[in-house]
Amino acid sequence: MMKILRWWWGILLAFFLLGVARVFLPLPFVNEVILFSIYTMGCNFLLGRVGFISFGQPAYLAVGAYGTAFYLYYFGHNPYVGILMGILVGMVVSLIVGAFFVRLRSDYFALVNLALSVIVFYLMEKVLAKITHGDNGLWFLTSMSSTPVLDLGKPSDFFIFIFLVAMALWAFYKYLDDSVYGACCLATKINEDKLRFLGYSNFQIRWMAFIIANTTTALAGTLYAVYLGFVSPAITHPSRVADPVVVTILGGVGTLYGPMVGAIAYTGMKDLLSAFIANWELFIGLVLVFIMLAGERGIWGTLEPLLKKALFRKSSLPI
Amino acid sequence: MDTQLLISGVIFGLSIGSIYFLLAIGLSLCFGLMRIISLDQLLYYSIGAYITYTLHVATGNTWVGVLGGMAAAGIVSFAVERFVFVRIYERDITFTMIASFGILFAGVGAIKYVWGLVPRPVPVPIEAQVNILGTGLPVYRLVVIGISLLVYAGIWLFLNRTITGKAIRAGIEDVEHVEGLGVNVYKLFTITFVIAGTLSGLAGGLHSSLIMVDPQMGLEVLAFVFMVVIIGGLGSIKGTLASAFIVGQVISLGSILYAPLAQMAPFAIMLLILLIKPTGLYGSKLLKR
Repeated sequence: MMKILRWWWGILLAFFLLGVARVFLPLPFVNEVILFSIYTMGCNFLLGRVGFISFGQPAYLAVGAYGTAFYLYYFGHNPYVGILMGILVGMVVSLIVGAFFVRLRSDYFALVNLALSVIVFYLMEKVLAKITHGDNGLWFLTSMSSTPVLDLGKPSDFFIFIFLVAMALWAFYKYLDDSVYGACCLATKINEDKLRFLGYSNFQIRWMAFIIANTTTALAGTLYAVYLGFVSPAITHPSRVADPVVVTILGGVGTLYGPMVGAIAYTGMKDLLSAFIANWELFIGLVLVFIMLAGERGIWGTLEPLLKKALFRKSSLPI
Repeated sequence: MDTQLLISGVIFGLSIGSIYFLLAIGLSLCFGLMRIISLDQLLYYSIGAYITYTLHVATGNTWVGVLGGMAAAGIVSFAVERFVFVRIYERDITFTMIASFGILFAGVGAIKYVWGLVPRPVPVPIEAQVNILGTGLPVYRLVVIGISLLVYAGIWLFLNRTITGKAIRAGIEDVEHVEGLGVNVYKLFTITFVIAGTLSGLAGGLHSSLIMVDPQMGLEVLAFVFMVVIIGGLGSIKGTLASAFIVGQVISLGSILYAPLAQMAPFAIMLLILLIKPTGLYGSKLLKR
């Protein structure tokens, strides 16, 4: 029992704080933070655990969002089925695309993803305009049927839903970090020759990681779609390609709670700063450069060791 | 397809390609020599365009603006190199990518602060047209193509005929060896970076009168410029020139054939080339560091 509790307490604490935040902060802000941290989780996993930097996360976000949107607009009305559809489409796409992409080196990987994101953008905006309605987007907020227990059409119920989803997701990633597979991922980042020597296939590990990460991103896309009730090509616009990377760096690369801290910091800065000065990019860019020069640990990456030290120096609880 | 449309399409493609070439050559040199991916070249491009706008408003002459833009871009790139890049040359390539993106992002914010969000127009300095095979072509676009070819020749002469250029070329092959010969490679790095920044500024100045100058302009061409560099092969000047013109033609002729495909076709080609030949058209073997 103690063992299970010890494994869970970090996640429980983090989500308890998030629940407290729900009481004090406006609901749209908290929803935005949770969605953004789910979105960033995939990028964080790729960058921190496998060593792939991806400037094309919006592509997978759009794939998930459009998977849901097509279902809800043309076929059915149940948002839960829509979310499942989006995840499925995202998984299939990353399965196919990943097989080609993970063979490339990390710098080419970033640029190929960027290209994919631009392709998806123009595909949705221009080429498939008949189905996607181009820039106008697909609106399906009113056509979503209300479901008995958690009505996803209502923001307050939607909060509970994504709260639970995010908690499950964090538990999953924590489990992944502890598993042999997580160790393999780190090894392929640090020394792929040695891993091959030990009998693992680098390609399979990376492919698997790519699928996991981008299915997570697609999940974020489906949740965005259901939350906003409409999807337009703007979510994969080329000028937004770096959002998840920025948040990942801000929070702390490769840390479990980095995406959450980063999302809070990023969304908070955006909301607060844009009230005072119009150019919050200047500030975020400077923070980014500063973090990179100061040792690329990010906010949570810096805080975590300090917190652990402060918390555990006196008590006998092992880390 | 009718000939007039074809000719004007080709010239349009060549002029777009010239701008992309001027931008991509800096990126390519930086990657070849320093092994950094310098996204902030797009910032110097925007700075070049904005200084062109400001000086045009002040003096009424766009060419003065272009020269001023080049100078400003060179100065800013020198400052950035001294303050940021000197500290991170030794780091991983993804690291430089993120750091330079931070600079680009901050720069876009600074541009919004100084010049505001509204797109600014810059008039074309030469409004004359020439008749070639019965097609009226704007002279300015031909001048842009000429300038980029001159720059190519200049870079070629610099790299092949001067001792500094030869050192840079040797550095692209093997930096440690050059360092071992007693060359101060950090000086070479600075020179290359400032050349790259100045050329980006030139690209911005020349491009400013063909499009509207707005704060996001750097982010908009980002993807295209990278595509040019990737198709040509990172670190190769000849490949960059060839791929810039290919991309320009694909965009311009593609839009004549079927408009929605114009923006997408180059990326599809890039994906294809990367999957067949991961080093690009003229890319040498993958250098390790």
